[in-house]
Order: sequence, then C-alpha cells, then structure tokens
Amino acid sequence: MTSTASSSIPRGQVDLVEFVDWSGVECLNQTTSHPLVNALKQGSRDDDGLHLESDADEQLLIYVPFLQVIKLHSVVIVGPEEEGPKTVKLFANKEHMGFSNVSDYPPSDSTELSLDNLKGKPVTVKYVKFQNIRSLTIFIEENQGGSDVTKVQKIAFLGTTVDTTNMKDLKKIEEH
Amino acid sequence: MGLEATMICIDNSEWMRNGDYSPSRFQAQADAINLICGAKTQSNPENTVGVLTMAGKGVRVLVTPTSDLGKILACLHGLDIGCEMNLTAGIQVAQLVLKHRQNKKQKQRIIVFAGSPINYEKKTLEAIGRKLKKSSVALDVVDFGESDDGKAEKLETLVAAVNNNDNSHIVHVSPGPNALSDVLISTPIFSGDGEGGSGFAAAAAAASAGGVSGFDFGVDPNLEPELALALRISMEEERARQEAAAKKAAEEAAKEEKGGEQASSSHDTTMSEAVNTSAVIADDKRQNLTDDEAALLEQALAMSMDGAKSSSVDMIDADMSDATTEDPELAYALKMSVQESAGDSSTHSGMSKVLEDQSFVSSVLNSLPGVDPNDPSLKDFLASLQDQSETQQKQKEDSPEKDGDK
Repeated sequence: MTSTASSSIPRGQVDLVEFVDWSGVECLNQTTSHPLVNALKQGSRDDDGLHLESDADEQLLIYVPFLQVIKLHSVVIVGPEEEGPKTVKLFANKEHMGFSNVSDYPPSDSTELSLDNLKGKPVTVKYVKFQNIRSLTIFIEENQGGSDVTKVQKIAFLGTTVDTTNMKDLKKIEEH
Repeated sequence: MGLEATMICIDNSEWMRNGDYSPSRFQAQADAINLICGAKTQSNPENTVGVLTMAGKGVRVLVTPTSDLGKILACLHGLDIGCEMNLTAGIQVAQLVLKHRQNKKQKQRIIVFAGSPINYEKKTLEAIGRKLKKSSVALDVVDFGESDDGKAEKLETLVAAVNNNDNSHIVHVSPGPNALSDVLISTPIFSGDGEGGSGFAAAAAAASAGGVSGFDFGVDPNLEPELALALRISMEEERARQEAAAKKAAEEAAKEEKGGEQASSSHDTTMSEAVNTSAVIADDKRQNLTDDEAALLEQALAMSMDGAKSSSVDMIDADMSDATTEDPELAYALKMSVQESAGDSSTHSGMSKVLEDQSFVSSVLNSLPGVDPNDPSLKDFLASLQDQSETQQKQKEDSPEKDGDK
C-alpha cells in the first residue's frame, strides 16, 4: 500500500516536474551539501541517499516557479518520520518571499502532514485556490519531531496545465 | 566576483573622534569605505552598494543600493558624529534594504564597521547571525577602534553564526601606522569571494604606495594597448634569452674584477647580447611613445642613474606584477634597447653603459614624435649624461652612429 501510494497519481493529473522553471528555483535556509534539487529533480528525488536539509533552524522556504500556468491538485512530500516536515503552508503566485513576511499574507493553503503523507500519500490542496499558478512558495514551518533540522526526501506536484499558447502549434498554423 | 548587492553600515558614534587611526577613526573609516565601494562597483558593473549610518539620531539609510559610485561617495560627505552605535538595528535595517533590492538575482552582503564597544550579549548576536544565514545574507565585519574585552569574541561569534561556506569574514585592525584602508585591501573583504576586486586593489595599493601607476609597465593597457603589448613581448623575450645566456654570464662574471658590481656586470653582458633583436622591438615601442612617454623616459633614465648599482640588479629580478617601484620595466626595457653589442663590458656599471652611448640616446630622443631635440631642458639632460660617461664613450660613439640614426 505504501509503495503504491507514492506512485499512484490521481486520475487526470500529471506530475508537474517537467514544468518547473529550474533557473528560478530558490530555497532559503538549506544546507549547501543538501540542496533543494535533491528533493525536486527527477532521479535524485527518488534516491534515498539524497535529501533536502535545513540549516540554521528547522524552517524552510522553497520557491518554485513554473514554465507555464498550471492548476495544482495535490502535493507529495516525502520525508523521514522524525525530521520530516509537519506544518506546511503554500503560497500561490507570491514571489521572493522571505521568512520575515511569511506571516504577512494568509497562505493559500496550509496542512499538517501525517505519517502517511510522509510516506508518499499526496496531500490534496484546496483546488479552487490553485487554478492559475505561475509560482509556488512552500513554507515548512516545523517538523515532526521538533528537532532543529528538517529533512525532505521528495517534493512532487500533481496537477494539470492550463491551455496556454503552445509555440510549436503556432508555427504549424503559419506554415499553411 | 559574483553579482552582489552590498550594504555598508557606518559607525558614526562618538568613539569615532579618536585619533588613534590617522587622521581620525572616522576619516580612516571613510577612506576604507570609498575603496570598498570602488572595488565592488568595478568588479562587476551590475553590483550595487548602499550605505547607512548606525549612530547619530538613529539608523539612517543614506543611499539605497546603487551602482552609481558618485552618488555613494557624495553621500559620505557631511556626516555627523554622535551618540552610540546601534548594531542590531543597523544590521536589521540593512537586511531589509537588501530584501527590497531591485535586482533579485544579486546576492546579499552586509559590511559592518564596528568601532565602538559592543554592549550586546553573545546570544543576541548569534540569533541575528542565524537570521542572516537563513535569509542567505553574507556578513563582513571590520573590527577596529575600541577593543574592550569580549568585543572581538562577540563579533567572531556573530560572523561564525552567519558564515555559510566561507562567505563571511571578520578583520581585526589594531591602531598603528598603517592606514585602515591599506590593511583592508589585503583581506578577503576586498577580494571578496573571487578574483574581481583584486585588480582594483592592486592598483589602489600601488597608488597609495606612491608609485606612478598601478599598471605593469607604467602604461595603462586601456589607453595604450600597443605600447603595453610591445613592452610585455620584449620583457618575455628578454627573460627567455636571459635563461639561455645565464651560463655565459656566470663565466664572464668570474673574470670581472669589480666586487660590488659583479652582479650588474654579468647582467650587462646578457643585456648587450640581447640588444640586437630587442632593439627591433624597442623601435616599435618608441614609435608609439607620446609626449608623456618622452617625459617619462627622461624621468626613468634619471631615476635609474641615481640608483644604478643596486637597482639594476633589482630591476632584472623585478616581478612583472610588482608595481610599487617606479617604472622599472620601462627603464629596463629601454636600457636594454639602448645598449649596443659592444664587447667591452667590464669597466662600466649598467647605467653608465646606457648613457655613454650619448649620441645613441639623442638619436632615440629624436625619433620620439613629441620630443624637440633643441629643447633646452633636453639639452641640459644630454649634457649631464655626457658628464657622467667615461672617456671611452667617445670610442663607442663611432660604432653606434652607423645604426643609431633612423
């Protein structure tokens, strides 16, 4: 059950990892030896040896821009039982947030991850609030065990893309 | 150096009136800030620097991060000294300013000048440091001025808390003869996390040491690329030739009678052997010389006359990047090219050998585009050259005259 849960994707949704704009991805308070790409990138995120780790304290602020507009259905966050994230807040379309202004706006959604979630069960978000997403900010406020270090093995986004202009299609029409 | 936005926190508290750094702590601090701003803006044109004061009525931002060096320097004028420095508020305001920088791709850095005593607890400073680290802000601290017990440690803990992969540094400067800016130039604060600031720093170091310029040959490569290139080529060729002729020089040096000038004489031989081909290069050089270079040439010859014995050896060993001596490479290169391949090298020191070919020197000066050979000052100079030469000079005049004139 647990192993299939991590790979099961709700019907109609896709894994949005291909639509992540890697040039703009940022993570505050990560250790340099365990950066965000370990948890996000395809390949390293499934590698158990690689994980994202927090540095000065247990909070993490992750900013993920997307290449095109998407609708976000659910989020998968995998981490160890003790040091995995617990309270997670999501902010839609807010750029360049800092730890000082995470409390300035209400989050678009916030959840507390259960141990099932940490094993790979997707967390369904308030779909209506995530209809038009250009960028996503994930604020991990505390972890399960309350320790000073938060570890995240994998972060995945499940959703659909909004039909935006596909430049390849545009060319074909012109050829006629 | 990478793309960076820097906030400089100035300490303008009452403690800055002290004169243990000349002329006053505040002035030394201002000089250092000028240099840092210059280095940052020069290393990357998109770097921005901002300034705030921590004492006075309160923390006040003088200029938000900008790449306009003039604006930054202008706001440093007319600063008042007073009250006490508020370190924590200063750092927090700096962090806020950096957060709202225009170009979000720039890395954030705060440089703090801490001259007054620190009244905060270590824990408070550590907490501030961790906050900075969380927001990926680097911190450089210049610890100068007051040094009561605990201040250095407190600042060390602060920097250690912020430090992430060696991006933050602390420098302790004790009062002394060296100016604050000079001490800072050699620190990682100036050179940053890369190579960018070091070029500017080297130029600044040379300027402050009283040299003519900070560039390799006394020539600005930007203004006169051909001349700089020609000089560099001739230097390299001469080096290669010197290595080849080293053995010969050692033999001839053994035959020399003069004890003190033995080393310079051996170099004379190598120089004389090297003259023919280097003279060709030197000709190209001379054609590019301007009026300024003519004056510089005279100056160089005069200077090398004064320090003939010791400096000739030094010149040859001088590093190309050592810009603190006064145009040694230029004088040396010209000295070599003026040398004729006369066999008799034993009885003269390096410099008199150059100058004894007085007619050759005058022909060199004739060829310079801006030099008027009838100029009285030039005539006096040539006359003085003649006085210095020995009688044997006249014998040599015959041989160089054949190929001296162009």
